[in-house]
Amino acid sequence: MNHNLNLLLDVAMGLNLVSLACSRLQTLIRVMALQGVILGLMPLVMEHDLDWRFALIALATVFGKGMVIPLLLRRAMRKAHTDRELEPFIGFVPSLLLGAGGTIAALAMVNQLPLLPEHTGSVLVPAALATILTGFILLIGRAKAISQACGYLILENGIYVFGLLLLKAMPILVEAGVLLDITVSVFIISIVVDRIQTVFDSLDTRHLTTLRE
Amino acid sequence: MNTSLALVVAAAGMLLGIMTGRTAARIWLITTLVGVVAAATAALSVLNGADWEWRSGFTVGGELLHLRLDGISALFMMLLCVVGGAGSVYGSEYWSEIEHPRSARSGRLWWSMLVLSMGLVLVMSNGLHFLIAWELFALSAYFLITLDRQRSEVRAAGWLYLAASHTGTLCLFAFFTSLAAQTGSWEFGPMRDQAALSPLFWLALVGFGLKAGLFPLHIWLPSAHANAPSHVSAILSGVAIKLGIYGLVRFSGWLPMPENAGTVVAILGVVSAVLGVAFALGQHDMKRLLAYHSVENIGIILIGLGFAMISVEHGNAAWGSLALAGGLLHVWNHGLFKALLFFGAGSVLHATGTREMSRLGGLWRTMPWTAGLFGLGAVAICGLPPLNGFVSEWLVYLGLFDATILHESSAWEAIPAAIALGVTGGLALACFIKVCGIVFLGAPRSEAAAHAHECGKSMRSAMCLLAGCCVAIGLAPIVFWPAIARAASTWHPAWKVVQAPESLAPLGRVHVALAVLAITAAALLWRRVKHQGLKRELTWDCGYAKPSARMQYTVGSFAGIITEWFAFILRPVRHMHRPRGPLPHDASFEEHTPETVLERVVAPFANLIMRVSLIARRLQHGHVQAYVFYVLIGLAALAAIVIAGGGK
Repeated sequence: MNHNLNLLLDVAMGLNLVSLACSRLQTLIRVMALQGVILGLMPLVMEHDLDWRFALIALATVFGKGMVIPLLLRRAMRKAHTDRELEPFIGFVPSLLLGAGGTIAALAMVNQLPLLPEHTGSVLVPAALATILTGFILLIGRAKAISQACGYLILENGIYVFGLLLLKAMPILVEAGVLLDITVSVFIISIVVDRIQTVFDSLDTRHLTTLRE
Repeated sequence: MNTSLALVVAAAGMLLGIMTGRTAARIWLITTLVGVVAAATAALSVLNGADWEWRSGFTVGGELLHLRLDGISALFMMLLCVVGGAGSVYGSEYWSEIEHPRSARSGRLWWSMLVLSMGLVLVMSNGLHFLIAWELFALSAYFLITLDRQRSEVRAAGWLYLAASHTGTLCLFAFFTSLAAQTGSWEFGPMRDQAALSPLFWLALVGFGLKAGLFPLHIWLPSAHANAPSHVSAILSGVAIKLGIYGLVRFSGWLPMPENAGTVVAILGVVSAVLGVAFALGQHDMKRLLAYHSVENIGIILIGLGFAMISVEHGNAAWGSLALAGGLLHVWNHGLFKALLFFGAGSVLHATGTREMSRLGGLWRTMPWTAGLFGLGAVAICGLPPLNGFVSEWLVYLGLFDATILHESSAWEAIPAAIALGVTGGLALACFIKVCGIVFLGAPRSEAAAHAHECGKSMRSAMCLLAGCCVAIGLAPIVFWPAIARAASTWHPAWKVVQAPESLAPLGRVHVALAVLAITAAALLWRRVKHQGLKRELTWDCGYAKPSARMQYTVGSFAGIITEWFAFILRPVRHMHRPRGPLPHDASFEEHTPETVLERVVAPFANLIMRVSLIARRLQHGHVQAYVFYVLIGLAALAAIVIAGGGK
């Protein structure tokens, strides 16, 4: 079982790197959605006895992260008539290198961390750290609002992976609440993206500096 | 009526007032007055009988509610009720819907909020709840000061008030949290036996002193009082700054005092009294002048309190209780006559549209009621017999004289304090001769002053109520003595019974005689005028045959000599353009007194802080990406701390 989980986590980490390297927003959203689906599958392979609650979480995650959110983002993108990240703050190659370095560092560091004995065998914690780092790199390094929204969602995926450690302790309500929050915030982001586009005639968040006091 | 019931009615009245303030002006007025009267009965029953205390069975903010109304808080509660009630009546005409459609509604709402929150400050006996009530009180006062916020100077005054008020609250936070940390409980009560608490008094002095407006901390007071609507200035000056005094009286009675605290308080009192009146003399704006007189009167109250504290150091001497009684009675008196004076100034402002005294003049002809009542307030504030100001200042004098006579060298501070108090009284008299002479006598200096009109019934009745209180305390001080004695004995348990000075009852009779004499003289003069008719003649006019209204004494010239004496601190700014040549034209003279403490001390310091903060502000440039980067750095630092700490 743990072997399967690690496999999924490795794929997720690979997707992190893909998301850092791609310049087309369409691809970025697709990568993010795929990562969401993989994350949704994780609770299913983690446990020996399949509880209905885990099935529900998995279903909700796959549905939310894999379908609803990408749909909302794609619609915002189409409305704003952009499909490419043209002038990132941190270039694609440097961000790829940063992401790769971060992933390696997280994997190397895992032995230093004070973990519970049952978690030592899996790459759950390094994967979470690497995914959060990827989210941050996207948030810091990209100029377009939609790339940043994707960065934010990948960051959240990392937190979700962390949450898997606590799957048994965490009540289903909390997980559902988090998912609902994310969906709402993406909804808001897509509205904001639309507003930025109409006001500044571009999705470049650098224009937002004119709004400061 | 029993005290708890009266307080519940009072709170309910105030809450109803808050709810109806925006929509129903008449219901608001009635409920507010009912609330105020109920609170006054509660205060009265405490002043005549036993303390009232109540503890809740439930918690608010994690602490049990503990309310207490004892001699001291009941004394302040009484003042709050009188001024709060008079102010609601006055305000309903002065700040009416017709003249101030934008702010009359919120004005009523915040008025009820202010009165309620000040009442809460007086009854709270738990540090946490006290701070909550205090903050509510500060904020409602802010919204009342800035009712007329279309004007930029009102906004500036509001900001200054808010900043000063919160600096004070910061000190109070430090005070109450250290008190709670050292005693192990947020509740407060008598704790004179815990000597370790004594340094905390300095924090309380700064925190409450900022609100009370004692001299170097008064920076917010003149502009806030001048720019607020007049009924708000009245309650600010009459009651709000007294809550600072309340805090000082309360905690100087309950905490152990550090060494020399009494002397420091007395010195601050002397400085506030003398410099307050000196600054008042330099003012040209009627309400700003009254505001500086608040600083002066706070000084007089602090002299009383300071000597009471000194007497405790000297083994609870009886003269201390006299000084304290004088200070406490002055709390009432100043609240009454200063509110009356602000109402009078508001009436003048309402009628002429200006606070500049150099544009007024001759108003007693068009506004006889306002002129008469303002004059009465002026006599009271100058501490002249037969009104209330004299009674309280006289009690303070008695305390100081007894201290000098009975303690010879050990209470030497009493001699300079008595002299300073005398100087203050003289200067205050000069200042109010200036105000009354310039504003009400002479000829009108502007069109607006010439066409002034008397204020309406509500405003007049509010002023008459306060004037009636001033006269009553002046003519029959012995009636009010038990309430003052009760508060003074609450302050220090060693003074179980505070004896009235023997001369208090005769003083009342002398005052009645003086009043009768004054009224008879006025009646005789009136009869003579009726009999022989008035004759108008030119004043002495330097040989100039056609004098105009501009050739009267001006505000600056009236007080010119005295402001010269205090030029070292007042630093009046004068722009003079002398007439030159045999046929001169184009001559001008202009003078104003700056806010010395604010402009020379606080402003440079604030500029320094601003310059440092501007450097830090470069971090805030609007790049979302960089903000996220700050978050990442913060997270990494936290993780580093946890990992480093986890190794232990």
